[in-house]
Amino acid sequence: MSIVVCLKWVSHPGEPHDSRFSGMSHADQSALEFALQQAESTGATVTAITVGPPGAEKVLRDALACGAHHAVRIEGPTTTSGTDVATAIADHITDARWVWCGDYSLDRGAGSVPAFIAAHLNAQQALGIIHASIEGDAVHATRRLDGGRRELLEVTAPAVVSVEGATARLRRATLAAVRAAASATIPVVSATTPMHRAEFMVRPYRPRARVLPAPEGATALERLRVLTDAAAASAARGDTVRLEPADAAARIVRALREWGYLAH
Amino acid sequence: MTAPDVDVVVVGGGPAGACAAMVAARAGLDVVLLERGPFPGSKNMYGGVVYPRILDTLIPEWWLEAPVQRWVTRRSTMLLTETQAVTIDFRTEAWGAPPYNGATAYRPDWDHWLAGHAQAAGAQLITDTTVIGLIRDEHGAVVGVRTDRPDGDLRARVVIACDGVNSFLAKEAGLYEHTDAKHYTLGVKETLALPKETIDERFAVRDRHGVDIEIIGATGSVNGGGFLYTNLDTIAVGVVLKLPKLAAQAQRPEAIIAKMKQHPAIAPLVQGGELKEYSAHLIPEAGLTMMPKMVMDGMLVAGDAAALCLAAGIWLEGVNFAMASGMYAGEAAAEAVRGGDVTANGLQGYQRRLSDTFVLKDHRKLHRAPELVLSDRVQHLYPGMVANVVERMFRVDNPEPKPGLRRIVTQERQRAGVRRRDLLRDGWTGFRSFG
Ligand SMILES: Cc1cc2nc3c(=O)[nH]c(=O)nc-3n(C[C@H](O)[C@H](O)[C@H](O)COP(=O)(O)OP(=O)(O)OC[C@H]3O[C@@H](n4cnc5c(N)ncnc54)[C@H](O)[C@@H]3O)c2cc1C
Repeated sequence: MSIVVCLKWVSHPGEPHDSRFSGMSHADQSALEFALQQAESTGATVTAITVGPPGAEKVLRDALACGAHHAVRIEGPTTTSGTDVATAIADHITDARWVWCGDYSLDRGAGSVPAFIAAHLNAQQALGIIHASIEGDAVHATRRLDGGRRELLEVTAPAVVSVEGATARLRRATLAAVRAAASATIPVVSATTPMHRAEFMVRPYRPRARVLPAPEGATALERLRVLTDAAAASAARGDTVRLEPADAAARIVRALREWGYLAH
Repeated sequence: MTAPDVDVVVVGGGPAGACAAMVAARAGLDVVLLERGPFPGSKNMYGGVVYPRILDTLIPEWWLEAPVQRWVTRRSTMLLTETQAVTIDFRTEAWGAPPYNGATAYRPDWDHWLAGHAQAAGAQLITDTTVIGLIRDEHGAVVGVRTDRPDGDLRARVVIACDGVNSFLAKEAGLYEHTDAKHYTLGVKETLALPKETIDERFAVRDRHGVDIEIIGATGSVNGGGFLYTNLDTIAVGVVLKLPKLAAQAQRPEAIIAKMKQHPAIAPLVQGGELKEYSAHLIPEAGLTMMPKMVMDGMLVAGDAAALCLAAGIWLEGVNFAMASGMYAGEAAAEAVRGGDVTANGLQGYQRRLSDTFVLKDHRKLHRAPELVLSDRVQHLYPGMVANVVERMFRVDNPEPKPGLRRIVTQERQRAGVRRRDLLRDGWTGFRSFG
């Protein structure tokens, strides 16, 4: 059985790639700690993997020093889009039983890579975990839901688990391991598919304009009220329905489309 | 006996440690440089001017690559009273061109850069690792260090302690006979951001040229000194305070800086600066009086750890002394390892190098300077006396005729309550120290 931990080399926003201010996020450190604990309790090996330029090997050396058995760097710029990162990693770890990730990266922070990896591997996913414990072959995980609620999950392999930075404290590497990791050779592979730059939204989100019928009403004030919903009871668009998940998703998409938030 | 893991362990990634590791590694030794911070320089602060002449031999044309903020081409010394200021201002274009003299630099840049050279020479830098003690053999010789990492012992033929002021390693080894708070000053500093153009205008400099201002009389009842240095787009303003005096009164160090910043001669220079950082650090001020033994079986002590900082009051040179002593320690360690004798005897080359060079020669020469500059008379009486003399010289009291300078001096000396004998004696001490 093999365990993989995905680590991203992140830098301080103002100091891109200044080695002094770059490294592993706390979330990634937590992921590494869980991977190591799981390896200890199951006898598996841990592979640390990153997509990044040569400087990114810093996080892999840190992982090796802490006890990861193998490390691999997939060559690629730090600007690679999350989907391409996930594809590159998933292609490389097809036989992984467990994949641990930080919940989202510090610099871009969409948290999408773990989900894409799970999709590629056809694995279960438990994302944004705030508490995890390794119980035999399973992982018991707690996920944060809105409204103070929690979701308790029992996850079994193959699975991708992404954890928050507060979930675990990474162990300290021994002095000998730090020294050995500094000179370890780190295999570099190239991605199997092309890597694209992540595209960023550079303007505020504005829903699409939509055509409204002219408001009805005899006076300007009445028309204004109709337009702004001001006095009307919120009869408008609330709609409570009970549906199976697939139908519910379709219903949500339909509503969004009707309301003009999605292109037709 | 357990075999050593490496030839040399250098403790502390400051300027002393980086140079020690660089030199020992270049001599072909297996060197590990241990630093407790996440990178060399991350935990370090100072006033802000480094005099890197000693690097000429280590890094030829260092000025082409060193992370310098500004080249100091203007140096002022200010005597302040509550309402007056007498400034001696010197500037030279010579210090703004190779081979340069002094430069302002940030320590997280400077120390990181120097340690990079140690790494390039083959030394292994290990950060986030604190040395918590020495490993000694049954005869008391140092044979390694203990770190805070699991399985954290590291054995070495020679340990070079460059762990800064208050060196726990030198103390643990019993190299300091006694330590006394009166041998230390506390340095505190604010870094204030201002646009580069504003700094250029206020301090009358251009391009990469910068200013170093040393200030006496700005620290109230606490004996000490003030400083104001220009970086590219920040200024460093701070004070150095004698510990016993600081402890004996109620004002906090930051309040003393705040007061200095309000002085009419300082306020226009710092006005509008946005506080970026406040930092504090001890300075071993007493030079020869406090220096420990620096050589023992298996260990050398360099830089602030050996109290080699030259802090003659307004004269604050520590980084150059650290770099030089580190370099000499590295050379001596290499010599000893090659010669197969790492006892105090085999390591004596270090002591000899220190004695033969500016490191101890300057300390001997300026032996009395710190005490003089920090004395009550220089601190509390002379600034007012001098300022009043100058004020009266330049004041026009028509229809009174101009008084002679000798009369003014005598009158102001008496008014300040300074005895002629003390003035002459201080003058002589100053002349002998600085002359
Ligand atoms: C306010 C102030 C202003 C100053 N202004 C100037 C100036 O303008 N010009 C000048 O030349 N000098 C100045 N100095 C003096 C100068 O800062 C010091 O003399 C110089 O830094 C000494 O260098 P060092 O390498 O000996 O020690 P440090 O620079 O103190 O470095 C010691 C290093 O050891 C590390 N360390 C300590 N203990 C351990 C441990 N147990 N394990 C691992 N690592 C450890 C520390 O993190 C640090 O990196 C000033 C000092 C102060 C406080």
